[in-house]
Amino acid sequence: MLGRVKDAMADAAETLRRAFSGLKVVEAAPARFVMHSHGSPGLQVEGRPGLEPPQADPKAMVLLQDAVEGRALEPFHARLAHEAGWTQWAAGATVVHMEPLEAGRATKMAVPPLPRRTAVSGRVEALARPVARRLSEPLARPAARRLDPGLGAGPARPGLETMLTLAVPFQGEDVQRLPQGLWMRYSLQLVRGTGENVRNLEVLGLFRIPRKGVADLRHDARQGRILLRLEPAALAAARSPFVLARRKDDGALVSCFVEDP
Amino acid sequence: MADPIKLAYFMAVKEGASYLGGLLMTDTSGIPLDFRYTEPITPTRLQGILYGKSLEPHLKEEVIQKTLLKELKSAPDLFILSASELAGGWSGDAKCPVLAVQKSQESPLARVGDAFRAGPRDLLIQLAEGAAPLRVMFAASVDAAAQEQAVAMLLEAGYHMDLTEPLERVGAALHSLVVKES
Repeated sequence: MLGRVKDAMADAAETLRRAFSGLKVVEAAPARFVMHSHGSPGLQVEGRPGLEPPQADPKAMVLLQDAVEGRALEPFHARLAHEAGWTQWAAGATVVHMEPLEAGRATKMAVPPLPRRTAVSGRVEALARPVARRLSEPLARPAARRLDPGLGAGPARPGLETMLTLAVPFQGEDVQRLPQGLWMRYSLQLVRGTGENVRNLEVLGLFRIPRKGVADLRHDARQGRILLRLEPAALAAARSPFVLARRKDDGALVSCFVEDP
Repeated sequence: MADPIKLAYFMAVKEGASYLGGLLMTDTSGIPLDFRYTEPITPTRLQGILYGKSLEPHLKEEVIQKTLLKELKSAPDLFILSASELAGGWSGDAKCPVLAVQKSQESPLARVGDAFRAGPRDLLIQLAEGAAPLRVMFAASVDAAAQEQAVAMLLEAGYHMDLTEPLERVGAALHSLVVKES
């Protein structure tokens, strides 16, 4: 800051030094300042006729009319003519006699000298020196703007509750691959759990599902799976084998959890 | 007893001019263990110009995926995404094998548990008797050894659950969140 002020002061001093360096100081008694007022005649408008507008002079064109049919060219006829000019010129001509040049009969004529200097009319005023002015107001620097092109995702939101509103499919296990003894054990538990006659039951599948937190169950016979809508309690619950069967007499679904040995 | 296998299903979608993503972690029964989602990100017009064609991959892989992985309670064993995302040249930095699973129209393999390598990063695995095998595609960063381990986990999980279904659930959940917020 101090440096800029010093620079500005130095510039001003240099400017003043240059401006007054070639001037001589002449002391003169200042004349009293008298104000003269001059009236100026009012502007008068003098009307002058303007340029006459060009006027078109209409001229009628006479159409070719009353044309006369040309006749055939007539043959030339020779005619004798008489010229008397030369005769008249010879009769009226006057002979001029020139006097011979004689010494002493000449007259001296004074030739005015050419002017040595031509008068200068008018005077061209010298061009005034342009006054240099210093622009003290510096141009403001353009402000650079920064745009962060980064794309931020923000924190991820937990959405497990939203996900639990969607049904979770459970594939049925292939009971044919189960050991025979195990499957017999499961069948017995199904009969005990449902109280149905084993001959009246058609097993639809064996599924491993949570023991708790099952809010809804639907059977997807086409794909051999069940669709469960789960509650949060199901996520931590143990998975157990679950047998789904249909009663043959009325088609109602019966089910029960079975115990692994 | 070995730790239960955790599968992470990732999906990022574009809804209008906004992008949002969700990450569902399930056990081998498909039961949700954790679900995280991002708020919709709407790039400005200037950001769209500055990023150009890299905007969408950058948002999905660098912004959404990293944010979601960071917020998970525990690290997943497999990171599963849609086949179209993987085919687009996934370059995320998940610490576990990144793969896509897809139902195929191929004829069944001989036995349940069989795997057939169709390419360096492409396998068919037989999960159910008589059913079409499941196609598994791995990201370029997954080497052969990691692929073998991942296939073993997929076979174990595929016995209890439909391995392709949770991704549909993530899409449905994201859609419901968008509808709820709008």
